[in-house]
Amino acid sequence: MGDRLIYLDNAATTFPKPPGTLEAALRAYRESGVSPGRGSYDLAVQAGDLVDQVRRKLARLFGAPDPDRVVFAGNATDALNLALHGLLRPGDHVVATELEHNSVLRPLHHLREQGRIRFDLVPFDGQGRVDPEAVARALCPDTRAVVLTHASNVLGTVQPVREIGALCAGRGVLLILDTAQSAGIVPVDLAGWNVSALAFTGHKALFGPSGVGGLVLAPGLEVQPSRYGGTGVDSRSPVQTPSYPHRLEAGTVNLLGILGLGAGVDFILGQGLEAIHRREMALLARLREGLAGVPGVTLYGGAGQGPQVPVLTLNVEGVHPEDAGAILDADFHIAVRAGLHCAPKVHERLGTLGRGAVRFSPGLFNTGEDMDAAAQAVRSMARRN
Amino acid sequence: MEQDRAELMAELGRVARVLDGREVWFDWEGFFWDAADWNEPAAVLLARESGLEELGDAHWKVLRFFRDYYAYHGRAPLNRHLREGTGLSLGELEGLFPGGIRLGARRLAGLPNPKSCF
Repeated sequence: MGDRLIYLDNAATTFPKPPGTLEAALRAYRESGVSPGRGSYDLAVQAGDLVDQVRRKLARLFGAPDPDRVVFAGNATDALNLALHGLLRPGDHVVATELEHNSVLRPLHHLREQGRIRFDLVPFDGQGRVDPEAVARALCPDTRAVVLTHASNVLGTVQPVREIGALCAGRGVLLILDTAQSAGIVPVDLAGWNVSALAFTGHKALFGPSGVGGLVLAPGLEVQPSRYGGTGVDSRSPVQTPSYPHRLEAGTVNLLGILGLGAGVDFILGQGLEAIHRREMALLARLREGLAGVPGVTLYGGAGQGPQVPVLTLNVEGVHPEDAGAILDADFHIAVRAGLHCAPKVHERLGTLGRGAVRFSPGLFNTGEDMDAAAQAVRSMARRN
Repeated sequence: MEQDRAELMAELGRVARVLDGREVWFDWEGFFWDAADWNEPAAVLLARESGLEELGDAHWKVLRFFRDYYAYHGRAPLNRHLREGTGLSLGELEGLFPGGIRLGARRLAGLPNPKSCF
């Protein structure tokens, strides 16, 4: 066991961040860390410009036509709450999937408990993907929205968003996309895929710090605000201003977080999404290869077919997943995520709801040797039992 | 009144058992609801139930480390502290108790159920 921690929990948050990004954000914050866009003095205007620059970068990354419709929030969960509470109306029906994170499931459950909506969950197949035809069959005449995770945080499988977006557009149904696990790893095309609203988080593969995320809206989509307050514009109005992004951004934004996110997006655009994805998938393939056919080790999801993000979830027979995580940490210096990954419906379908599973999520800064060490550690755990 | 209390505890997922002549409350996974209810005879009883007929020196070393650490720090040891404090790898420790680390050693030591993503 080496002294260096092998961090394989990048699906929870990427660590470390790319060299120089946090320093760049801190430098800009030291120089311009005033209330962005709230005042006529030059520094406030400049700080507002810095925020708008990040909106433009994100719009470019997500294929969104209007940077003013990039709304900052605390994280993807916060952004999904903004979207669901702001778009769903009493009596609406919603279609989501069994792959969803609690960031979608819990708001939907609460809205249903309040008697405001009904919803159905579409299952996934043995490869961990949702069939667009199954989504089509779940639509009702009063379906207002389909809510879909772009990539499963348990299985890593990337969903056929283009196809589901086309069928939603054809039926006049909104598509709300959760890109928490995909943004920064695989391409996202809001306009091309007919996505109505896209939630992202900054601290995962976009390489920003925690505490910043957002919602990107298609042109023309109206989202009712669910929180109200100062925006720095239209202050005489007793109600929330109608213009975006201010309509959905009550209070001062997280400038330091946004600057860090901007530096992370710069890094991604510099590296190229394709290069990032290729490298991470090569790492995943090496890990999978090291674990293939090991007696007593169950790998979940498809065998790596189809588009994927770098996530591999498994169990070792006879070892509680939480114990496996502790053993990997203390005996092998490997950090992984054990449990239900806030995705109970996925584990229910996998048959792991009672105990959970162990998730390995390599990132850009891991090495092939890290994958070999992780595979070896799992093999040694499996051998003992 | 006693009936009301029992119903409330059941609603909270707590289960009462009589251990060594005392009423002790456990959570739905068999963890002590109150760490102060733990004592050595209770640990012996629970160990037998888990298939461990006798707690040997190695077991007691682990259980006492858990107890002492919890008493001093008010929380369970970090993984590396558990390894350092017991002198065992966590792989060895896992194999020592039929339920492993979490459901075995930690539960028998009377520490609270860890708040993790379950």
